[in-house]
Amino acid sequence: MPSVPTRSWPRRLRGSFRSAAFERAMEAELRHHLELETDALVAGGMPPSRARDVARQRFGSLAQVKDGCRESWGMRAIDTVSQDLRYALRTLRKYPAYTAVVLLTLALGIGANTAIFSVVRAVLLRPLPYANGDRLVELRQQAPKIGVERAGLSVKELTDYRAQTPALDAIVEYHQMSFNLLGHGEASRVQTGVVSPEFFDVLGVTPLLGRTFLAGDDGKNAPAVLILSYGYWQTALGGDRNIVGRTFEMNDRVHTVVGVLPPMPQFPDVNDVYMPPSACPFRSSAHAIDTRATRMLSAIGRVRAGATLEGAQRDLDVVSARLSAQYPEEYDVAHTGFRIAALSAHDELTREARPTLLVLLATTTFVLLLVAANVANLTLARVLGRERELAVRIALGAGRRRIARQMLTESALLALAGGALGLLVGWLLRDLLVAFMARFTPRAEEIAIDGPVLAFALGASILTGLLFGILPAFTGVRHRVAMTRCLTPGRALITAQVAIAFVLLVGAGLLVRSFVKLQQVDAGFLTDRVLTARLDLDFVKYTTAAMRREFYRSVLEKAAAEPGVQTAALSISVPLDQARACRTGFIMEGLAAPDRHAPPQVDFQFASPAYFKTIGMTLLSGRTFTDADTVEAPPVAIVNLSMARHHFPGADPIGRRVSLDEGATWVTIVGVVNDTHDYGLDAGPADELYLAFAQTAPLNATLLVRTAGDPTPFARRIPSVVRAIDPRQPISRIRTLEAIRRHSLAPPRLTAMLVSLFAVVALVITAAGIAGVVSLAVHQRTREISVRMALGASRAAVVRRIVWLGLTPVTTGLGLGFLGALLMTRVVTQLIFAVGPGDPLTYAAVIALLTSVAALACLAPARRAALMDPMRALRAD
Amino acid sequence: MKQAKSDLLQGTLDLLILRTLASGDMHGWGISQRLQQVSQDVLQVNQGSLYPALYRLEQHGWIESSWGDSDNNRRAKFYRLTKAGRKQLAEETASWERIAAAVARVLQHA
Repeated sequence: MPSVPTRSWPRRLRGSFRSAAFERAMEAELRHHLELETDALVAGGMPPSRARDVARQRFGSLAQVKDGCRESWGMRAIDTVSQDLRYALRTLRKYPAYTAVVLLTLALGIGANTAIFSVVRAVLLRPLPYANGDRLVELRQQAPKIGVERAGLSVKELTDYRAQTPALDAIVEYHQMSFNLLGHGEASRVQTGVVSPEFFDVLGVTPLLGRTFLAGDDGKNAPAVLILSYGYWQTALGGDRNIVGRTFEMNDRVHTVVGVLPPMPQFPDVNDVYMPPSACPFRSSAHAIDTRATRMLSAIGRVRAGATLEGAQRDLDVVSARLSAQYPEEYDVAHTGFRIAALSAHDELTREARPTLLVLLATTTFVLLLVAANVANLTLARVLGRERELAVRIALGAGRRRIARQMLTESALLALAGGALGLLVGWLLRDLLVAFMARFTPRAEEIAIDGPVLAFALGASILTGLLFGILPAFTGVRHRVAMTRCLTPGRALITAQVAIAFVLLVGAGLLVRSFVKLQQVDAGFLTDRVLTARLDLDFVKYTTAAMRREFYRSVLEKAAAEPGVQTAALSISVPLDQARACRTGFIMEGLAAPDRHAPPQVDFQFASPAYFKTIGMTLLSGRTFTDADTVEAPPVAIVNLSMARHHFPGADPIGRRVSLDEGATWVTIVGVVNDTHDYGLDAGPADELYLAFAQTAPLNATLLVRTAGDPTPFARRIPSVVRAIDPRQPISRIRTLEAIRRHSLAPPRLTAMLVSLFAVVALVITAAGIAGVVSLAVHQRTREISVRMALGASRAAVVRRIVWLGLTPVTTGLGLGFLGALLMTRVVTQLIFAVGPGDPLTYAAVIALLTSVAALACLAPARRAALMDPMRALRAD
Repeated sequence: MKQAKSDLLQGTLDLLILRTLASGDMHGWGISQRLQQVSQDVLQVNQGSLYPALYRLEQHGWIESSWGDSDNNRRAKFYRLTKAGRKQLAEETASWERIAAAVARVLQHA
């Protein structure tokens, strides 16, 4: 045959789309033919009615001719597809149980994957939603030799880097403050981002309302201006569209709102409002501007178009070397290892989320594979059950390819429907996942079911459809193959399912064991019945330590007098709260002065006398603070056990003196208390030094109250207690200590729960798969079993034989799963605490669990086999 | 087996249609009459089976069709041989003659 001219294809396609017009034209043409033939016959002398009949006769079957024409016109392909579809729909309706189970498992598998993929895409794959998101780097000064990973930058250093780093076309500063904002309702404490005027332009953020900062906003005499974050504008100001131009009082100055930011993940931190550097009383002080060592700023750089992160790092290395040479006293590079690192902002924003997400992605991928294997198994069983029907169809002339295609159509239909349901599942899971991911990354809000996610769901559906459709399609076509060989693919699928379930169960087991261990960690303090609230004093109002002391004294007195309150105390912060770190260098009296650039580091905390009692810490020796430790009395401190051991090994620290200000003042240690886990239950205790709250009287404080009963009702009383003393004092973050502890445990708990959920789903699917394959085996061996029983095999022997039949592939699966788990669980090492990835207990438990579930799954069909009447089964043949 | 038989018939019918159209544009009924006349009533197939062949040939681009008025003022679909059709006719004629000659030789000498 010569080649087909190329233009026939487009025409063929056009033809199939124009089927109505095509039908009309064809009808007209054939009618015309019949009319001419009739006319010719009439002209030959035949009566018209008979002529019509003869013409029809000579023409042949009109319907057949039309079919022939349609087929020639290329509608054949389309018609077969729609026929396949109709047939598939009918078949699926005929097996509602099968269809429902398949759709449900597919929806679960595809839904879970779609949901997790939507998170991976939003958090890890998409560039930051700023115009310059992919060019932003965080600049971090480090002193690795003395354990400092992120020191800030001073104003002087910022100026140096700005001038000498050609690969960065902009470096902007950032630091976070917390100020009291007055001007609407109650005084509120606002997180304030203090940023260079060009900060938002460098990020590439366009304001929703008003404008971003201009160079003129930053200056000694510039009027104070504010930009509101979208979230704060919405929640605190009701999304007022006329907000630009409104004024608020802050730090004793009038601030005018000039703009509102769009909804976006805020970087580096979430803030309520933003102000330029000159508006921040601390940043604009001469001390901050002139002292090279006052490092309060973060720096964000933008890589010049065409330059790379590595190029920026090389430039920075040059500058830091130059600085070390210029100010050897200041940087002491030999001792500190001083350097500055450029880190991709995208990686920094998603660093915490990455390991968890990768584990979840691996988990859902495994679940989908398992789902595909299971559906393949179900479909295979159904194909073998439909053997008679298929045989009839082949006998009636249906081509084997056509039957295979028919089955693939069914699979595709199921997969697509399952995918659509899966999307629904994914969509329903979105809010949950946003809440979950918000604990790891500010990008959580960006999670959405968008185009690429839809494409992913479609791709996953098609792939799954192919995976589970191909095997049954081929088995169906080769339906004459011996039964035992038909069983082989089913058993291979069992092996695969068991192996996958094994890996998932081990992963879940490790996470759960790790979580249980975390929960058992003694935090070093008691969390029940303690309520905490932040009190941040306005530094423009409480200008002297005496004023602050007086305020704190009244608060403690009033709070302790409330009914139901056992003790009330003050500290700067509470353990397990993310904002805890206050670290300083110190020197010990009587020791040779250590290098002044690398003194030992200690966390410090201010505590009022009742602090230790309120949170249930134990005094190990010496005394706690008392009301006698006033500002007039000699300064005193209490150390924790860890500090006592590290710095006073084998000696009693009580009575020893330390200095936190290079020897200007000396503080006497009067007691030792137990260690607490401040940075998370998975992090070890740090060396800690407590100073007497009354001797320091800081601006920021946390009120802690131990109640006799449930502390939650008291939460509503705290604001009125404080406002009775100062009606304009903001109170924020009223939480129980237990809630803080739970919050710190939420990420591992949620991860363990999610993975366990998937693992349980995997176990159920696997059990169903095993039961299905064994049932089919029993069904197909009815005759063999009957003969054995008729020949005297005991029921127990029959059961044993069938259970054995099912357990052989299970054993292989366990072996493969064991190896797979050893390889795969490396992924979770970052997420587990106090449990090794090869934890023998977990492996043993998983083996026991899977084996017993598999045995149970085999037992039901085996019992059915043993209970059947052999004679009846034989007669039935 | 059935498939092979109809293939042969189909191919032959295609050749005859192409040859008929080579002598002028015609509508379906005209082609059927012409085939019958020229073959002196030996080739009498169901007239209907002509149409699937016409549609197929048009799909291949060997003939094209247009609607026009027939002798007695009826709308009719006329078929015309295309350039590709002429080439195809030449090729098929040659191959038919080769086969016919081969078959004839076999019949004579086998």
